[in-house]
Amino acid sequence: MKKKLVSMLLVAAMAVSLVACGGTAQNAPESSTTAADSTEAATEEAAAEEAASRPNRLIYGSTTEISGDLGNAWWTNNASDKKIRDLINDYNVITFDQQGAMLVNSTVVDGDIESTENEDGSKTFTVKIKEGLTYNNGEPITAADYVAYALVAYSPATLEAAAGVVADSVVGSAEYQSGESNVISGLRLLDDYTYAITIVPEYLPYFYELSYADLSPLYLPMYAPNATLTVKDDGEGVYLDGGELNADDINASRFIYEGRVSAGPYQIKKVDTGTLQAELVINPNYAGNFEGQKPTIETLVIVKTESATAIDSLKTGAVDLLDTLTDGNLEINPALDLVDAGGFTYVDFERNGYGKLQFACDFGPTQFPAVRQAVAYLLDRNEFANQFCAGYGSVVDGPYGLCMWMYQDSQEFFADNIDSYSYDPAKAIELLEADGWVLNADGSEYSGTGTRYKEVTAEEAGTYALNVTLPDGRILMPLHIMWSSSEDNPVSELLVVMLANGQQTADAGMVIEQTVMSFTDLLNYMYRDASVDAKYGVPTYGMFNLATGFTQLYSQAYEMSMKDEYMGTYNNNFIKDEKLATLAWDMVYGVEAGDDATYLDMWQQFMDRWNELLPDVPLYSNIYYTVHADWLEGYDQSSYWEFEDAVLYATIANAE
Amino acid sequence: MKKYIVKRIIYMIFVFLIVSVLMYLLYNLIPSDPARAELEGIKTTLRPAEYEQRYQNLREQMGLDDPILLRYARWMGFAPEKESGELHGMLQGYFGYSNFFKKDVTEVLPIRMKNTMIINLFVTFLALAITIPLGIFCAVRKNGKFDNAVQFMTIIGYSIPIYIIALVFIWLFAVKLRWLPVSGMETPGSNYQGMQAFLDRIYYLTLPVLIMTFASLGGMTRYVRTAMIDALGMDYIRTARAKGLREKVVIYSHAWRNALLPVVTVIIGWFITIFSGSVIIETTFTLNGMGQVYYLALRNSDYELALATQMFYCAVSLIGQLIMDLSYGLVDPRVRVDK
Repeated sequence: MKKKLVSMLLVAAMAVSLVACGGTAQNAPESSTTAADSTEAATEEAAAEEAASRPNRLIYGSTTEISGDLGNAWWTNNASDKKIRDLINDYNVITFDQQGAMLVNSTVVDGDIESTENEDGSKTFTVKIKEGLTYNNGEPITAADYVAYALVAYSPATLEAAAGVVADSVVGSAEYQSGESNVISGLRLLDDYTYAITIVPEYLPYFYELSYADLSPLYLPMYAPNATLTVKDDGEGVYLDGGELNADDINASRFIYEGRVSAGPYQIKKVDTGTLQAELVINPNYAGNFEGQKPTIETLVIVKTESATAIDSLKTGAVDLLDTLTDGNLEINPALDLVDAGGFTYVDFERNGYGKLQFACDFGPTQFPAVRQAVAYLLDRNEFANQFCAGYGSVVDGPYGLCMWMYQDSQEFFADNIDSYSYDPAKAIELLEADGWVLNADGSEYSGTGTRYKEVTAEEAGTYALNVTLPDGRILMPLHIMWSSSEDNPVSELLVVMLANGQQTADAGMVIEQTVMSFTDLLNYMYRDASVDAKYGVPTYGMFNLATGFTQLYSQAYEMSMKDEYMGTYNNNFIKDEKLATLAWDMVYGVEAGDDATYLDMWQQFMDRWNELLPDVPLYSNIYYTVHADWLEGYDQSSYWEFEDAVLYATIANAE
Repeated sequence: MKKYIVKRIIYMIFVFLIVSVLMYLLYNLIPSDPARAELEGIKTTLRPAEYEQRYQNLREQMGLDDPILLRYARWMGFAPEKESGELHGMLQGYFGYSNFFKKDVTEVLPIRMKNTMIINLFVTFLALAITIPLGIFCAVRKNGKFDNAVQFMTIIGYSIPIYIIALVFIWLFAVKLRWLPVSGMETPGSNYQGMQAFLDRIYYLTLPVLIMTFASLGGMTRYVRTAMIDALGMDYIRTARAKGLREKVVIYSHAWRNALLPVVTVIIGWFITIFSGSVIIETTFTLNGMGQVYYLALRNSDYELALATQMFYCAVSLIGQLIMDLSYGLVDPRVRVDK
């Protein structure tokens, strides 16, 4: 009986699967038709048919997960979530243009932002908001909405929600955040459309001081759905009246999709974390970006794609645009083949950052600038960049991006002052010998083969594990660089061939010993993060390979600072050079806003000093490609002008 | 029988606890700092004080500074939470918090579990529908031309890694023929409802289901064939034929039912894997399932999510083992499971 039961179950299973097959097969034509909206568009025939009635919709392929966290900048969003967030929010008082220049958002601000220096050294910025701005639901935006942003961001409840906003730049914000006061004394609501924000003296002067005045509108009911909060100012500063904020509500605001109130070019129609898609439609109440530009593409769909099949997705019309392609062989070349075949076009732009060899400048051989310079001379960086980027990259000679105005205004200075460390093994040997790397392990004069040694002081020797102490008490340091490289990293593989195992390196008497580890491990060693494990706190590796990038507010103040609290976390070169640190600090915290000439002069001096000390060897700076269907017109992306900015100016040819 | 089941359940709980300790310790041995990883991407936009505050907040929130045994006890629900003072762990139905998704794990997994189960159910039924008749047919016509051809094909199918099969199928059906989509789960921006949405989903799942089915044909076909060949060689088959029974009756009523014992364990094993996603297929096709989320959790150091997923698999396989053992007795009364 039992056997029969099991047999019947199996037959039933087979029958169900057959029915399932049959059903699928029978319905296939219909389902094909249903889903063909996206796939047919790419075929030439369909393109001709659809030319007159193409949907006013753009499908953006994203290789990062859509987790659905739309929380604002107080939290960390992944790239896809951030893109959605940026597309649905705008009206910041301060914004950036296509070249990365900071400016007052004239769509939002009525006139100029007034700044007043106070007797106590603080500075007050007075901002008048234009009348007529509204949220996507039609409700008006006033100065109270801008002030609400600070009141929520600096609140103890937001801190409890693990957002971690530091409230110390605005007068009274620290007391407000700690709960000592329920008022932010340095923030005033002067009338319905005017607010004033006062910055503490410790944060002044600042080259980017306008950024202190920046706030954006915040729709209070979304952050406190169970209270009727209003912003009040009785003359002592702003506060929230009518209830209290709580961490749960603030956290929940990140995941509101339906009816989400926002004030950007687009608004949420759907976020589906099950199918990894988000659909945005135009916000009809949007007044435009800082140039008054409004989007015309009715619908944006952001879908998750996999890198391995992204080009096929573009080719078959499953997505219309692939943003910031990096890999020359796997992504850019196949994408350009598509462009050549017709139906697609592209925009390319320089990466605002670079891949690099980073040195620990406080121990071992890499503490000596001559050694760092010798490494640079031993690597043919042009060839390296060419090979790694498959022709889609270039080389930089300092911590800058080719798109920066400072660099573009310094071409002559760079030609006269900046050493490009062109491949020159003989020069490397010359530098090493001049720096004292002229001994064998036994203290005799260097024989010309094997590892070079240098006599060092006890302080220079430090705890470097490979030092040799001779019977006469002299300490010799070998020219043996411990290199930490991350696993599955093509940069590391190329570095092994072109540098570590290169004959020129051996001929120079240098050993570069690679240790492959996870990227997390690499960071632990680089930051010397003893909180994870005591072993990481011990200086072990002198060289790391990784990449870095820059924002519009260029600063190296913390990265080059000699203060102990910045060592590791920010200054992970552990470089301590008075001149470099002073230049990096004064460049942003010693120059008045608007004094571009002084800033540029200090920037050039900083680059010169950095180039001499060479805490990193820049390896390559990519040229990125964004490839899209050719019916997307007017799309112009750049290093500082991302998809969310560029799409506002783009149109779809023959859109419905 | 009841006594046996109770005994097995106690044993399963014991194993589950041991596995949970081992897994928790293993994940915590990984030299990572999820708080720092969380902030790495935006570090250059933060002032040092701001970075430090966010970092410490995250460490506090993630409980990274507490002793590991205390963290384990809290995670399991043996020790009270720091803030609320209440037991709030796996035993109470709380599977942790996903740092990547910024949600409780119990909110992250159900939709992915559903996606994975839909795909695997199709694959399992399809594969069984093909492999069982095919295996029987090959066994009956052992060493014939068709059997040899199938053997050859199944060896090839069995040997080729699934990611190669996937790439070939994508190239053929999605890129060249354009019959099926390259990846995804529904037509972007479609907003279909009801039957239209269902058909759209079927359309998107067809290619991954085809690939997974194709990849599973080789092993199962060979398994059924071998079991059937063994059964067909038994004396009772000769007896049945000598009695003059029709060949169909001999094959399906006598041989197949006796060949079921080894096959049924594999089939039940298959049904258990309905809950576990294929990392390669789900990642390749951007199918938001259990395999993909596990891979994502590992890549992003989201260890509570990864741990919860792994513990779920542990529970499923323990339960599966019990069902498999019980099924032996169900299929073959000679096997007793009450000892």
